Amino acid sequence: MAWPAEDRRATAVPKDGEPPLLTDEMKKELTEKYFPRYPTRRAVLLPALHMLQHHHGWIPMRALAEVGEFLGISPAEVLDTASFYEEYWLKPKGKYLIQVCRSLACEIYGSKRVTEQIKKKLNVECGETTRDGKFTLVELECLGSCGTAPAMLINDVLFEDLTPQKINQVLDGLPEDAHKFRDPTVDWQ
Amino acid sequence: MTPEELSKIATIEQEEQQQHKHVIQVCVAAGCLSSHSDQVKDALDKEVSKRGLENTCHVKGVGCLGLCAAGPLVRVQPTAKPDAAVMYQAVTANDAADIVSSLEGPPVKRLVCPTNVPFFTRQKKIVLENSGIIDPDRIEEYIAVNGYAGLLQVVSTMRPSEVIDEVMRSGLRGRGGAGFSTGLKWSTVAKGRGSTKYVICNADEGDPGAFMDRSVLESDPHRVLEGMAIAAYAVGASQGYIYVRAEYPLAVKRLKAAIRQAERAGLLGNNIFGITFNFSIDIRLGAGAFVCGEETALIASIEGKRGTPRPRPPYPAESGLWGCPTLINNVETFANVPPIIRNGSAWFAGIGTEKSKGTKVFALAGRVTNTGLIEVPMGIPLREIVYDIGGGIPDGKKLKAVQTGGPSGGCIPEQHLDMPVDYESLAKVGSIMGSGGMIIMDDTSCMVDVAKFFMEFCRSESCGKCVPCRVGTAQMHDLLCRITDGSGTADDLTLLIELCDVLRATSLCGLGQTAPNPVLTTLQFFKHEYDAHIQKKTCPAGSCTIHAPAEVI
Repeated sequence: MAWPAEDRRATAVPKDGEPPLLTDEMKKELTEKYFPRYPTRRAVLLPALHMLQHHHGWIPMRALAEVGEFLGISPAEVLDTASFYEEYWLKPKGKYLIQVCRSLACEIYGSKRVTEQIKKKLNVECGETTRDGKFTLVELECLGSCGTAPAMLINDVLFEDLTPQKINQVLDGLPEDAHKFRDPTVDWQ
Repeated sequence: MTPEELSKIATIEQEEQQQHKHVIQVCVAAGCLSSHSDQVKDALDKEVSKRGLENTCHVKGVGCLGLCAAGPLVRVQPTAKPDAAVMYQAVTANDAADIVSSLEGPPVKRLVCPTNVPFFTRQKKIVLENSGIIDPDRIEEYIAVNGYAGLLQVVSTMRPSEVIDEVMRSGLRGRGGAGFSTGLKWSTVAKGRGSTKYVICNADEGDPGAFMDRSVLESDPHRVLEGMAIAAYAVGASQGYIYVRAEYPLAVKRLKAAIRQAERAGLLGNNIFGITFNFSIDIRLGAGAFVCGEETALIASIEGKRGTPRPRPPYPAESGLWGCPTLINNVETFANVPPIIRNGSAWFAGIGTEKSKGTKVFALAGRVTNTGLIEVPMGIPLREIVYDIGGGIPDGKKLKAVQTGGPSGGCIPEQHLDMPVDYESLAKVGSIMGSGGMIIMDDTSCMVDVAKFFMEFCRSESCGKCVPCRVGTAQMHDLLCRITDGSGTADDLTLLIELCDVLRATSLCGLGQTAPNPVLTTLQFFKHEYDAHIQKKTCPAGSCTIHAPAEVI
């Protein structure tokens, strides 16, 4: 999780003139909905990052700088916080994020086989994205679905009692447009 | 909202419910939902309206019915005789017609899930009393089962100090794991300096194998809100936060809906029940860091910083969020508060053991027949949970160990199965109550591998702030890897034990201090498995891949 030692020298420098990643609508929502609830602006950092990630699929460096400017904290501090949390993607991820639970209850019921099969099917390792940018595969800690293990999340839809057949079925059945797959009942912050 | 309005809502809702001859409850908690219980509910809805039974039969989505392994679960309850309810298991949309047809006759035999079995009869439900009964998306149903009556009672008839006394007398202890006295914590916050105080609900459930909080939030979100509001009144806070894992989308959705409804009804917000008591609740989404379940890390995270713990004291009860006195309780702790107020502390103190009062919700998982959510009185023998409620070990296998408390807990072997489940007894065998995850393992699980699993968890979830935890967990994980792949030596084992002491004594927060527990308990009860890996280069359970050539003995 913490202390990534990544080489960021190759990171693209923010360019002037491009439309801001933290849009005016986002700023408005943050100002109206979030600022009144907290005594400091910094407290809104995590919701702002959630918002950016939800909108762009990941959080580019330029967006971190923009958030910093908006909340009055230095870009380094924003990076410091953002890089701490596993949830935030500071590099692009696929349209579909497959998160397989690797917790003990799932492991007892064969989560390793699940991961292996997905790896083989998509030809990726954990943490990697397929060449066409459609899938990213990661393992994560307990999804709280231990009663119906093994489980995985694809974007924000939960799949349980996984079997090899079920995995093939699910992966083959995903629409090309990932937005169509989004669970409409879940309203993300 | 006035008291009269509250009781009016309850009466209207109760009368409306009485009008229906039957109510069909479909579990729409995450477990059943993922096996398409929503389609079952739609099919039942259609079937009922096709036959024109809308006025006599009500189909509704409810929270967790408990037996997740047999989902989707459906319960058919005649309004006049609630005890004559029939439970159906593994229901599909195609079964809808048969279920509706059976309303006036005998139940559909092939689907019946017997409820006179220990899984249901041995449980004692307080926190889960409404789970599977009410529709979590409707505040009216919660109010109809005495919801928010506790809050009303508190703000209209009790002084804050009386509320704290009542909670203190009930003997309620924190359900997040450590078991600190809830009343004592509340009184510390109440005595805290300053006029700004906060109440935080810790719903950052991260222990592997634990899903109690998720289920409570999905099945009965208003209960948690009510508990928080009562706490806020008692300690003098006006702002509350629920810190919930982003990985629980359904729980987040239900909570948001519940907060909106409560605000609209005037049960949250300003001048609750017409007195000068203001309390609002906001949701904070976590961002995938286990350590944020630690209270000081959680506070840092809400403040918008890295979720790293800080040394205590000062405890959050004295100086927490933005330096203000802050009450942090777990979901289940708050969920226990409304019934304690409604039924009185003596009632609650009458359940459980001398030092551990009330009930505890456990998430049964692993190699056990009935996986799912259970609530049992404190002090129940572990054996009863595994064999009576859990239905024993499937496939004719033998029980090896019960893991409680997640990465901070330990593995309890067969010989201690008759011990009562309470805070003290679990601590005596080196484990902890924890938040309530209970993973059952049979003889195909290697205990060294289990210890390695939890150490890997701690290693990757260590926040990196203090050296013993950051480096120690990595070293211990390496040593356990060597032992499980057959290249371990006796010296490695010595070093491993030494590191256990170092981490316990010198880590900054609970994560590092308790990280050695899985190793220590497996060493205590399953030393022979370590020896087999090191000396004979074999894995008794046959689950580890030994790379080193087996020595000829």
